[in-house]
Amino acid sequence: MDYSTILLILLGCPVLAALLIAVLPSKSTPRAAYEAIHVIALIAVAVAGLTLSVSAFMGNDIFAVGEWFHLDGLSALFLCLIAVIAPCTGIYSLPYVAHDVADGKLGPSQVKQYYAFFSLFVFSMILAVTSNNIIMMWVSVEATTLSTVFLVGVYRTKLALEAAWKYVIVCTAGVAFGLFGTLLIYANAADIMADPHQAVFWTAILPNAPFMDHSLTMIAFVFAAIGFGTKAGLFPMHTWLPDAHSEAPSPVSALLSGVLLKCAILIVLRFFILAAANVGDSFPQTVMMILGVLSVCYAAFEVYKQNDLKRKLAYSSCENIGLIAVCFGIGGPLGIIAGLVHCVAHGLTKALMFCLSGNVMMKYHTRDLSKISGLISVAPVTGVLFAAGCLALAGFPPFAMFVSEMFMILAGVAAQVWWAVVLVLIALVVVIMALVRMITGSALGRAPEDVKRGDVPVLALIPEVVLLVLVLVLGVALPGPLAGSIENATAIVLSYEDENLANDSLFEDALAALAVVEVPEGVFE
Amino acid sequence: MFSYPLVNVLGACLIITSMMVVLARTGRAAAFLYSFQSLMLVGVLASLGFVTGSTELFTWSATAFVTKVVLVPAILLFTLKKIGKDAQADLPPKLNPMKSVALVAVEVFVCFVAVSSIDLPTALEVKPTLAVSLAHFFIGLTCIVIQRSIFRQIFGYCLMENGSHVTLALLAPQAPELVEIGVATDAIFAVVILAVLVWRMAHYAHTLDADDLCELKG
Repeated sequence: MDYSTILLILLGCPVLAALLIAVLPSKSTPRAAYEAIHVIALIAVAVAGLTLSVSAFMGNDIFAVGEWFHLDGLSALFLCLIAVIAPCTGIYSLPYVAHDVADGKLGPSQVKQYYAFFSLFVFSMILAVTSNNIIMMWVSVEATTLSTVFLVGVYRTKLALEAAWKYVIVCTAGVAFGLFGTLLIYANAADIMADPHQAVFWTAILPNAPFMDHSLTMIAFVFAAIGFGTKAGLFPMHTWLPDAHSEAPSPVSALLSGVLLKCAILIVLRFFILAAANVGDSFPQTVMMILGVLSVCYAAFEVYKQNDLKRKLAYSSCENIGLIAVCFGIGGPLGIIAGLVHCVAHGLTKALMFCLSGNVMMKYHTRDLSKISGLISVAPVTGVLFAAGCLALAGFPPFAMFVSEMFMILAGVAAQVWWAVVLVLIALVVVIMALVRMITGSALGRAPEDVKRGDVPVLALIPEVVLLVLVLVLGVALPGPLAGSIENATAIVLSYEDENLANDSLFEDALAALAVVEVPEGVFE
Repeated sequence: MFSYPLVNVLGACLIITSMMVVLARTGRAAAFLYSFQSLMLVGVLASLGFVTGSTELFTWSATAFVTKVVLVPAILLFTLKKIGKDAQADLPPKLNPMKSVALVAVEVFVCFVAVSSIDLPTALEVKPTLAVSLAHFFIGLTCIVIQRSIFRQIFGYCLMENGSHVTLALLAPQAPELVEIGVATDAIFAVVILAVLVWRMAHYAHTLDADDLCELKG
């Protein structure tokens, strides 16, 4: 079987699962039937996704349906994230939904709706990362909103519906800006390319990008950064994020934060590459830096202020997306590497934390942190995972986010953007304070009398243990294939700079660049 | 008969009709006015087709007629019927009509200034309409921001989408039909989902007032 066919199978499995679940009658179909279809589809996504990612990491450029779908080293990194996190959160959904059904929060039709839209959501994210057609990229990002809105509002309470409404209206309006940016790039490329029909394909536009109209490309990039930045949760377009993440069921929050935000970042990166190839890297870097620093500084204080567990994690997502934008704003091989590693590290860590917030809600029936204490004595495994997850999210060693944040600081030092480094470091200290307070207040402390002792079902713990192990492994050492893939992806992002393509190891080059940087005297005095 | 000036005149009609959608007193009237404004859009697409000789644009005008003149207003009128008269679908906007018109006038002016700097051969003859399409997009955004009724906010999204549609036709008349079908289908799905959400809001939360939906702050 060739890779193009596997790519089509990857796209087909979740959409088929969604259709199958949708046609089953909700009243007479047992929950186990939905669960079986859901699990089979996710296993297929994991196997096909990882197979394709490994192939792309080895240097294969995979195309399907002509040039409509394309998997390169950059998109493979994000596909890998989907192939790992979607099955983990999908498996976690089984005990979580069962608990909500037992609690009377979800009825048969809502369970059916949950599993159907979950598969559709996975499909739309795969579509977003594998689309080579820039208009299809926009359609897929819009599809991620439309497929998740009923997941966010699945509980049908006033608050859940309010969150769903804000989510859909802010994201559809925001992503409409992305459509405008996309159309401007298309029209710009169609004007200079011999075959205008090729101007919809990103791979065809890239070699022609230097010849496009400069002012139009800059306008298009700003529109794309605002549009897809809304979906990524960048300040000030982030307003939907805390509401949607906090009101959605925890596995959905995990998938939204762990993967969806990164898919939007990938689309921004695609436009970043085109803009950098056209007008040089300083303009798109400045845009990313401004959005990134604003997001980090605003969200860090919100993380500290929040007393709702899931809102705290949601603002932390906004802060981390800001960090990724800062990395791309710094630029250069080390900045891009830092951004990509942070995408992977934060995706895994945040998926873990949102799943753990689900455990906490299953035990305490609240998200109010003032009522959550003594988690380790109430549910020991969950408690230990929760404390470790908080440390991982705060960027402590030996967890993965420590590596990416260190790369980011080193990149900032190498690029001598001191103001950004100082602001980001202050924000990171605030976030560390907030998360350490969460460990001491919620994981430790005295457990309330009315909370039943005992851990959540094993099926809920397994995906969390897998995610924590991955976060730990990536923190100790980036495995060879992953490091290679990040180098490969970085080379694609830096493809507008010809000299970078000739380098063998971007990691070594990046660190060598750091070694020769002369730190001005008196900086640390 | 079919020339660029006609395209630009129809473009101006788009601005007037979109203003009428924003200022309509009832949701029902807004739905009919939106249908009328989409008819103007169909006119822009068809006349552009004649002027540029692009056969794709005739297909686009046909799909726009089915989706925007017929389907979207029908979905919205059906939603209005489903939610009944008790729901506050006809709440007045936060901004009075005079201020709304002034705001739109500023937006149109800014868009004309922004478009004047664009130097693209395909856009030379239709710069006024290009400015109108960009302004249309921002009028949609204004509609979302100033409406208190979440039902009426749907029209804001529809206007933004119409603006993008005109821009696509002006700047990329040779774009593959699949692209246009993708954009149009997406818009239909979006309207259906927004309408379902409005119905659920009326059914479960008993309000369509955006000011009531502020519990999730901070």
